[in-house]
Amino acid sequence: MSLFGDGLGARSGAPERGEVVLDRASRSFTLSTDRPLTLKEAVVRRRRHERKEVHALREVDLRIAPGEAVGLIGRNGAGKTSTLRCLAGIVPLDSGRAECGGRIATLIELGSGFGGDFSGRENVYLNGALHGFSRAEIEERLDSIREFSELGEFFDLPVRAYSAGMYLRLGFAIIAHLDADVLLIDEILAVGDESFQRKCLKRISERMAAGATLVLVSHDPAAVERVCERVIVLDGGRIAHDGDVAGGLLHYHRMLGADSGGSQSMRPEDAIRPLQIAQLELRDSEGRRRHMYRTGEPLTVELEVVTESQLERRALLALEVRDQRGELCFRTDHSLGIPERSTRVSFEVPGLTLLGGDYDLAVGAYEHEAPGVRLLDRVARFAVAETSGAQGVADLRGKWQVEGQAAAEAVETPSSPLGAEAAAQP
Amino acid sequence: MLRYSFLFEQMCRRELRQKYKGSALGVVWYFINPLVLMGVYALVFSVMLKVIDIPDYPLFLILGLIVWVFFAQSVVAAAPSLVQNDRLIRKVQFPRETIPAAATTVQFATFLIMLAIVLPVALLVRGSLDPALLLLIPVVAALFAFVLGATLAASVLHAHYRDVEPVLATALLPWFFITPIFFQTEKLPGASEYPLIADALTWGNPIAPFVGSLREILYAGAMPSLAQLVYVIAAGAIALTLGSLLFRRMQRDLAVIL
Repeated sequence: MSLFGDGLGARSGAPERGEVVLDRASRSFTLSTDRPLTLKEAVVRRRRHERKEVHALREVDLRIAPGEAVGLIGRNGAGKTSTLRCLAGIVPLDSGRAECGGRIATLIELGSGFGGDFSGRENVYLNGALHGFSRAEIEERLDSIREFSELGEFFDLPVRAYSAGMYLRLGFAIIAHLDADVLLIDEILAVGDESFQRKCLKRISERMAAGATLVLVSHDPAAVERVCERVIVLDGGRIAHDGDVAGGLLHYHRMLGADSGGSQSMRPEDAIRPLQIAQLELRDSEGRRRHMYRTGEPLTVELEVVTESQLERRALLALEVRDQRGELCFRTDHSLGIPERSTRVSFEVPGLTLLGGDYDLAVGAYEHEAPGVRLLDRVARFAVAETSGAQGVADLRGKWQVEGQAAAEAVETPSSPLGAEAAAQP
Repeated sequence: MLRYSFLFEQMCRRELRQKYKGSALGVVWYFINPLVLMGVYALVFSVMLKVIDIPDYPLFLILGLIVWVFFAQSVVAAAPSLVQNDRLIRKVQFPRETIPAAATTVQFATFLIMLAIVLPVALLVRGSLDPALLLLIPVVAALFAFVLGATLAASVLHAHYRDVEPVLATALLPWFFITPIFFQTEKLPGASEYPLIADALTWGNPIAPFVGSLREILYAGAMPSLAQLVYVIAAGAIALTLGSLLFRRMQRDLAVIL
């Protein structure tokens, strides 16, 4: 951006209520031995050379509009939590700008700053105060926080006596009632029982309906998929992907190193789902497992759906193909009826119409009209060989006709059997 | 800042609670400490050794002791306060000054209570209702500013360099002995022989003029000297300014280093 660049003036203004802005934000951390510097070392500067710089954010530009729900995902150390801390103002940037418009509520790790000897009630006061609330403002909310947290008589006991779930419920109950314009939440929805999770999600959507913005950091794709409509994948301090949820999750899984072997689970290890995809394989016309195809070649997707409980609703199967940028190329849903304990399903593609590139084929099974979960479960990567003569995603199989010349194939690939095969088909 | 006044109140409560959790006498310990010191010093120096001939010696002692105890306890309590509250600092953005300021304020409150107890005794034993008593307000305010400046600096320095605690442990005891708490510098036998050292003890130690002016007002029932007053107010202003500047400069990365 030049010094007199357009939009600089507009960008440097204060963000509006609920807006989140990162403007060329950079932050690096020095990883030294975990022992803090002593005075002598600071004076002598002996340990300088022992330090290692880690870039948590490198010139990141990001704008989140008021009311958006954004999931921030990435591998460990990708800068997710750092980004959240910078947005919250807990950690200053080295350069650039990080701002949130309006009141911010942060829930970073479980139960921010609960002193063990303090009761749940006292912690409500302390946390409210930390977020800049007055006594009266907190007292106004005390009853609903108490009710939301489901702590009952534990509310007035020291938090030392709490279970992890109680800690979580109290922590979430507090920040959910702070009427924040921006909610910054780190890795919390993965904990807690299902009914409380649902309650949290409901509360979050209520807050968002009231115009609040959510930034959720998570390792758990299920949590992101349930809450967010936009996903940002961070990698090495940069934004590797920014877009819709399915595309973002695919990008994330690809980044995690989808090898060219079989398929890979997209499911977090601890997630319990009524329907699971146990197996997913791509086979060629001769039934061999393969991951490299040519345009026009037949391909069969074979998978196995397993369920541990007897389902009451019919099951649906979703199959998606996305390109490397996470763009949806194809999606289809299919009813399985009431599935058995194990059901083998195949999906036959007579001739692949995709053009050259890497693709992810993801499948997931879900119960009809089940709330929430529509997560794709397993992903397999395959590649389509580059062909000359055509560009884009799909081969439309059109035929050129020039007056006075013989008809030609849409895709001129002399080396591929496509022409012959296509012509052979009725 | 005003938005966080309730936070400040909460932090003070926390400080009080955590200091004396599970102790039967709780806050009373704050008052027992200077009283015990007073009794022991009076016994040793005045009754047994008879080296000190100061009238109403216990009163003389306690006035010095409450200033010292306020200063020393505040610094000792505040220095590790940021480190102890690392979980709050790493997770929420709020004015970090509230942490050492709360530790100091709790000590200041006990100082004020001690003062309120000593004041009628001093008036009864020593003097009358002199208008000089009004000077108590600026002197005590300056003392608070001085101690707050010191605690801000100590806490943020300790967060960066963990040497602050051992430095304090090493420095506070000798500092106590060179502060005119159980003696009067000008009446020391060596003071006329080594006037330079006597001057250094009087003016080189920022706590000494605070003790001196408090004694002038409450023990001698007189006006502190102008030099003392100027010194005390300047020391308060300078310490608070430097302390908050240092804190502001060094607090940036607190969430990272803790």
